[in-house]
Amino acid sequence: MIGMIFILSYCLIGLVRIILQLPKEDRKRFFMSLVNPKTMAKNIRDIFCDCLFHVKLWKRNKLLGYMHSSIAFGWFMLIVIGHIEVLLYTPHRAKLFYFPIFFRYFVAETESTMRGAFFFFLMDFFLLMVLSGIFLAMFKRLQSRLFGMRRTTNPSFLDLVGLYSLWAIFPLRLLAEGFTADISGGSFLTKSLNYVLNSFLSDHTNMLPAWWAYSCALGVFFIVLPFTRYMHIPTEILLIPLRNAGIKIRNARKGFAKAEVYSCPSCGLCIDACPMGVMKTHIKDTTVYLNRQIRRNNERRIEEISDKCLLCGKCSAICPVGVEGDKLRIAQRSLRKYSVNPDYADISSDALSVHAEGKVLYYAGCMTALTPVIRKSMESILKKAGIAYELMDRDGGICCGRPMMMAGRFDQAREMIERNTRIIKDSGATTLLLTCPICYRIFKEKYHLDGIEIIHHTEYIDRLVRSGSLKISRDDRKYVYHDPCELGRGCGIYEQPREVLSCAGELVEAAKNRKESICCGGSLGSLTLGFDKRKAMTENALANLTVAAPDVIVTACPLCRSTFNRYADLPVEDIAETIDKKCV
Amino acid sequence: MKENILIIGGGIAGLEAAAQLLKLGYNPIIVEKSDHLGGHVAEWNRLFPDMTPAEDVVSRLIAGAGEANIFLNTGISFVNRLKDSYNIMLSNGISVITRILLFATGFTLFDAAKKEEYGYGVYNQVMTNMDLERWFNTGNDERIPEEGPKTMGFVHCVGSRDEKARNPQCSKVCCITAVKQAIEMKQKFPDAMIYCFYMDLRMFGKKYEDFYISAQRDYGIRFIRGRVSEVSENIEGRLVVKAEDTLSGKPVKVTMDLLVLMAGIVCNPDTCRTAGLVSLPVDSDGFLKSRDNIADITESPKEGIFYAGTCTGPKTVPETLAEARSAALAIHNYIQGLK
Repeated sequence: MIGMIFILSYCLIGLVRIILQLPKEDRKRFFMSLVNPKTMAKNIRDIFCDCLFHVKLWKRNKLLGYMHSSIAFGWFMLIVIGHIEVLLYTPHRAKLFYFPIFFRYFVAETESTMRGAFFFFLMDFFLLMVLSGIFLAMFKRLQSRLFGMRRTTNPSFLDLVGLYSLWAIFPLRLLAEGFTADISGGSFLTKSLNYVLNSFLSDHTNMLPAWWAYSCALGVFFIVLPFTRYMHIPTEILLIPLRNAGIKIRNARKGFAKAEVYSCPSCGLCIDACPMGVMKTHIKDTTVYLNRQIRRNNERRIEEISDKCLLCGKCSAICPVGVEGDKLRIAQRSLRKYSVNPDYADISSDALSVHAEGKVLYYAGCMTALTPVIRKSMESILKKAGIAYELMDRDGGICCGRPMMMAGRFDQAREMIERNTRIIKDSGATTLLLTCPICYRIFKEKYHLDGIEIIHHTEYIDRLVRSGSLKISRDDRKYVYHDPCELGRGCGIYEQPREVLSCAGELVEAAKNRKESICCGGSLGSLTLGFDKRKAMTENALANLTVAAPDVIVTACPLCRSTFNRYADLPVEDIAETIDKKCV
Repeated sequence: MKENILIIGGGIAGLEAAAQLLKLGYNPIIVEKSDHLGGHVAEWNRLFPDMTPAEDVVSRLIAGAGEANIFLNTGISFVNRLKDSYNIMLSNGISVITRILLFATGFTLFDAAKKEEYGYGVYNQVMTNMDLERWFNTGNDERIPEEGPKTMGFVHCVGSRDEKARNPQCSKVCCITAVKQAIEMKQKFPDAMIYCFYMDLRMFGKKYEDFYISAQRDYGIRFIRGRVSEVSENIEGRLVVKAEDTLSGKPVKVTMDLLVLMAGIVCNPDTCRTAGLVSLPVDSDGFLKSRDNIADITESPKEGIFYAGTCTGPKTVPETLAEARSAALAIHNYIQGLK
């Protein structure tokens, strides 16, 4: 009872706080989305799919999915049916919300109608379902590999208290209902247990400690809940409508970020996903631990974890509740105070102006400047296809701003964005072509180039091939395509490069690909990771790429290309190089 | 009967060790994977600091090892460890039983194409130190214009002292090689403007410093302290080299007709493979691990296996030769100890 009042008031206060912390426009957007029937339907569907049925987990691993949905859905159904029973049999008591929970204790079986038996059967059925889930959860503690998880989170003390009380609730409930089944009624599970218990414990006063133990376990669980990972249960229900309303992280600790942090169920799926995980020392730098440290306000560790991350975004891609580990980290970085803040005010964009009226403007970017073979191949492809183009940064240019964005230095990034925007708009170009996914992502997300098409070279080559401007000769070599983080998870481009490569030869796949592709280890995202550490990641990513014994590794990012090239035994090429060699 | 000693590698270390072992009364067998003796030095033109022709040095060494058994174009297929000796199967089908193995497997030059930003293999005017020496020997390379380059540059430390390129070690000989090659180019093309981009100049050897001062004073070679950041091509097809002059703290941009990359010394992957056959350890710098890096540099941690030359790390020619002699003596002492 106390537990229930506590948790309800805690959740209510938390809800109001998070909503108040949202910026004004976001709050308005949120409330508007709540009354919009379309998002409302989506909210309800998402809440059911994610919170009760755990569809994402089912897709990942059936056992893991069953474990979660049996507990969540089973418990939910127990509560719902419990309430229906109360409403049917004792409507006058329905106001007391503790009544349905202990229904069997208060009510003696008065009738054995079909309806009663049916509900009793349902109650027992869902109890069995929850119990099987709890049993799997216990088993998972011992053998997480069977559930598709190599490593799981190390629970904190309070998490353990919550965990054990959760485990205790349902077996105790079974026991308690077993004692009272002959008085209050029951079905296949509780009734039969009742016969067993009656045979050697015939005294009904034994039911009291069992009911007490049950209610204690329940009380403890609800009291510790806000301080444990189980806080994700109520928070996720808030996170889903917030996300559906299109709200993004604006503040590192408040509002949406807070909702994400508290939605983290500490499941540890991100531990296996993290490319840094190849070294055991980095396990505590994964998103689940970041969330834990943010909840504890441990500033030193927050800084360490946020700076080390490669921002490959894989944890966000696989997170069952949708915590955005990369964006959370960038937000933490933005809190940092730097003693030196570069000022780019004196960089003039006039000297860099280009004329490309009606043409394709090709912005190679810094990374492509460091891998000149990509630029050369791309230019050659454009010439072969007869495309009129102009190079935006042949003799120096301004950075796209993404590295500064990743470092959380938004003001500096904005200055670069402004200057580049001016150059591009003044050039008169109709299309902006990029060979670097790092640039491509920020151009897509942050630039407003109204009317000018922003396109990555994988898409562009695909288009040239489809339109017949580019003829590719096939060979019988095996190509494996590495999905660069910024292009795949960042911008959702998976198909075009594969389409193009399957015209050039046989396309094989890496063990983990597309959304689950492994970062090459060269990412600009990390501010602190040294080369010795990155080496293990690169080798791991290469091992993942070469499982199908390809002849060539192809990627579409200059940084991935140069990182792999230094460690691979196979030739590593950018898609532009591969295609340029094979077209006439 | 004379004791067999198997020497892996017919470079200068292998040849010199064979010559010494012959004098000590043993029967050295040289196994060389390529079709010529003398290794990298045989492909070089002249050697610092006295501009000695490399050909002379190599032919003298080959003459000294003339009576040894030499197998060219031969590798090692597998090794069987016997009770107190090794049974080695060569790729030409011959098997050798020996108590002593000498690794003189040398190094490989860092693959300059792995430093993409310098454009080796992408631009027509970018070559390596090795390519330049080959041109000194043959006079045949399209990358060097007939009338000579108007402006050219040398990039030091390509694949050395570079964690990103997987080799944090100093390759030791490239500083002085760059100075030597710059002087040679200036001698051939006195009007050329020559730049050297360096991090540090490590002029540790005999007369190196004189050589370096002469390069500045007598030949007017410009030394710029700072790494080259990127190389691009302008519309005329000339190279644009961007670097930072860390002494003046300013970025520099030079347009050039030729850029020479001083590719560093890295451990030969074949060495590691062969070392794996007899389970020899590799040191943290990627080269073979000696029993002791101060007192027993020529001895491996395994009984009967010895090292000479650059298989244990970058070395100059005189250092390699001295080590080959020292290895021969260590082998002799070892065999004496067995009796």
